[in-house]
Amino acid sequence: MNILETKGLYHDFSGLEVLFDVNLQVEEGERHAVIGPNGAGKTTLFNVVTGTYQPSRGKVFFKGKEITGAKPHKLTRLGVGRSFQITSTFNRLTTFQNIRLAILSKKGIRFHLFHKVDKMEDITKETEEVLKRINLDRERNMPAGMLSYGKHRSLEISLALATEPDLIMLDEPTAGMSRDETHYAVELIRRLTEGKTVVIIEHDMDVVFSLADRITVLHHGEILATGPPHQIRQNQAVKDAYLGETEVERA
Amino acid sequence: MKNNNHKWILWVVVFIILAAFPRVFGIYYINFFAAFAIFSLYAVTLNLMLGYMGVLSFGHAMFFGTGAYATALALTHIQGFPLLPAVLVGGLAGGLLALILSPLLVRVTGTAFAMLTLAFGQLIFVLALKYREVTGGEDGIGGYPIPPLHIPGVASIDMTNQINFYYFAVAVVAICLFILWFYTQTPFGNVVVGVRDNSVRLDYLGFNLSQTKAINLIVCGAFAGIAGAVHALLQKLVSTVGVLDISTSFAPIMMAYIGGVGSFFGPIIGSGVLHLLEDLVIRFTQRIGLVNGVIFILVVLYAPTGLVGLFGAAKAKWFHRGKAS
Repeated sequence: MNILETKGLYHDFSGLEVLFDVNLQVEEGERHAVIGPNGAGKTTLFNVVTGTYQPSRGKVFFKGKEITGAKPHKLTRLGVGRSFQITSTFNRLTTFQNIRLAILSKKGIRFHLFHKVDKMEDITKETEEVLKRINLDRERNMPAGMLSYGKHRSLEISLALATEPDLIMLDEPTAGMSRDETHYAVELIRRLTEGKTVVIIEHDMDVVFSLADRITVLHHGEILATGPPHQIRQNQAVKDAYLGETEVERA
Repeated sequence: MKNNNHKWILWVVVFIILAAFPRVFGIYYINFFAAFAIFSLYAVTLNLMLGYMGVLSFGHAMFFGTGAYATALALTHIQGFPLLPAVLVGGLAGGLLALILSPLLVRVTGTAFAMLTLAFGQLIFVLALKYREVTGGEDGIGGYPIPPLHIPGVASIDMTNQINFYYFAVAVVAICLFILWFYTQTPFGNVVVGVRDNSVRLDYLGFNLSQTKAINLIVCGAFAGIAGAVHALLQKLVSTVGVLDISTSFAPIMMAYIGGVGSFFGPIIGSGVLHLLEDLVIRFTQRIGLVNGVIFILVVLYAPTGLVGLFGAAKAKWFHRGKAS
């Protein structure tokens, strides 16, 4: 069954077509990578799916239910989590408080006014468990804005995961990380998304080919190919448009 | 544990000072202190928008003034209107105004929010000025009766007695401040801080931004209205220039900045500093605004986190040195 499906999705920024008839299908439980050169429309696709923008045309389905243009907080409550390409955390709050907000949301505690949040022990306990799982328990009381880059990215990914979504959309989770940090982040993603559906935008081909079950290649706002990694690697159109280019760049 | 004891001692001392204040100082300083308490509450409600939610209201007087007018009108037109409902009416009016404006206010942030609140603040000011039949125009409303505090079966306390009123005003402000402090500690209070830090992320975490902002605005409006209501009871006169004009809107901003934005107690300290300063300066010159302005500029330039921030920095430095040696 497809957990996420887009049908004939179009999006334009005042005349500039960024998405052109995108039919994306993500199966439940798979790790699906979206790749493509800069400006291919990958992040726009994420933004349209997760409700940042309304699509100009087309429909988005989540678990068979139409969610086109639904607001981000509604989608999160349905079970869609998302991380951002540009780290987006609560920078003046501590790491603990960052994760705690996600836990509060997960538990549906949104307008609670009768208890002090510090005294809600189940929340504190669960938050600390999450921090331990993502190895940020030593940075518990540090403002998120003061974390090292790699740790800050981990927090970013963890915020998307802490609400325990069924579908996780990661927008370049390893952007700007060093080799070691990337390795660590990939392990973290692998560990925390066990058995869940993940859609991931990634530029690092090593990460893509080691992590993804299926790959969709986006080029000029159109889907060029979709398939398992070995097929994509051999696809001539993809080589011409994207993979070839990277090899030239590397050389 | 030791820390806890310190806190208790501090609160007991504060309580004794508040209780003994009218016995030690004259009527002038009793009213002075009541005014300081009222403006503390008022400045705290502004800071719940500015420091906690991250929006600057340039028209905060509209909530304060609406509360004051509502209380004055209720006391003028309804015979035998009791004291506590008179205060609540002010809070309701302030909250209602915030509720009415919230559909617009939650849609904007930053400069747009400041300008929109400025516009509405001025609108309400002009409305009160021109709608003479109800508001008395420039003269305002005065001469309404101050009802006694009636505790059924126990006593009826005369509120025209200024010492009694001082206790009443300080008690109302203290209760409101406690409620607001508790409010900042609740899960919802934490979500409000999330709005300040990163509203996009908060939306993606599953919190309804508009609702969250609207509720915080209504809470701020209601408590600013209560401050206005107590102000109306203290002054026994409500006029546009006293409670709705632009300087009434700017006063809590200065208090919040001087005391420390983002700290709950900062605006209270700011309110104290500005009131003491005014009391001092007025002995030498009428140009209080000039002195306030200079202080404000100095604080913004050299202590952007306010007096609370300065104190914190000094403490950290001191503590650090103690640890190193």
